[in-house]
Amino acid sequence: MGLFSALSVSASGMSAQRLRAQVLTENLANAETTRTAEGGPYRRKAVVFESAGASNEFDAALASATNSMDGGVTAREVVLENSTPERRYLPGHPDADKDGYVLFPGVNPAEDMVDLMGASRGFQANVSAMSALKDMIKSSIDLMR
Amino acid sequence: MLDPIANKLSQYMDLLSARQKLVATNIANVDTPNYRTQDIDFASALQSAINTQTPSIIERDDLPMKTDGNNVSLDRESRLLAENALRFNMASNLMKSQLRMVKSAIQEGR
Repeated sequence: MGLFSALSVSASGMSAQRLRAQVLTENLANAETTRTAEGGPYRRKAVVFESAGASNEFDAALASATNSMDGGVTAREVVLENSTPERRYLPGHPDADKDGYVLFPGVNPAEDMVDLMGASRGFQANVSAMSALKDMIKSSIDLMR
Repeated sequence: MLDPIANKLSQYMDLLSARQKLVATNIANVDTPNYRTQDIDFASALQSAINTQTPSIIERDDLPMKTDGNNVSLDRESRLLAENALRFNMASNLMKSQLRMVKSAIQEGR
C-alpha cells in the first residue's frame, strides 16, 4: 500500500501549508490591533514545522504494521514572536499611556506577504505530488482491464 | 506471479512507488527546519530489490543547504516526481502487455 500512504504524506504537507497561510493572514488582519485577551498589542504568530518521520526502528515497524502514515510533516506548534511593539504618539486613543503613546504590534506586512507566497507555492507543490501519485495509482488500476 | 519478467516488473513498480513516496515526503517537508532530503540509491536498490531486499533510505548531503538547515530543492523533487511517474507508466504498460499475452493464451488466441 505504498502509493496510498504516500497520498497521506502529500495531504499532511497541504494541511501544514494551509495552517501556515491561516496564521499569516491572522497576522496581516491584526497588524493594527492594540488590544488582546492577554493584554497589550497583538504579537506576531509563527508556525513551527516538524517532519513526522519515524524517529526509531520501533516507530517505523509500528507505522508499517498498522499501515498508518510515516513521513510527512506536522505543524508542531504556533509560537508567539517577541518582536518589539511600535510606539505611536496618539494622545486621543483610548489605549494611550500617560505620555500619549499607543503600542502597536511590530508586524511587518511585507514579511507576512512574502511568507504567504511561500506557503502558497508549497501548497501547489504538494498538490502536484498528489496528482502524480494519483496517476500512478490509476495506471495500476488500469492493469485489471 | 506469472513469470520472471512480470515478477521483475512488479518489483520495479514497488521500488518506483517507494521512491515516489520519498519525493512526496521531501516536498511536504520543504519548509521544515533541519530536514535533509531523503532518497533511494536507485541503481543499487533495483539490484537488491531483484534479490528481494527492502531498499535502504539515504539522506542526501550533497545538495545546497538553506539557512534553516533544510536542503530540499523543489526543482529536483519536481523532476523526480515527473520521472518516477513516467517510469511507472512505462512499467505498467509493459505489465499490461504481459497480462494481455496470458489472456490471449487463455482465449486460445481469439
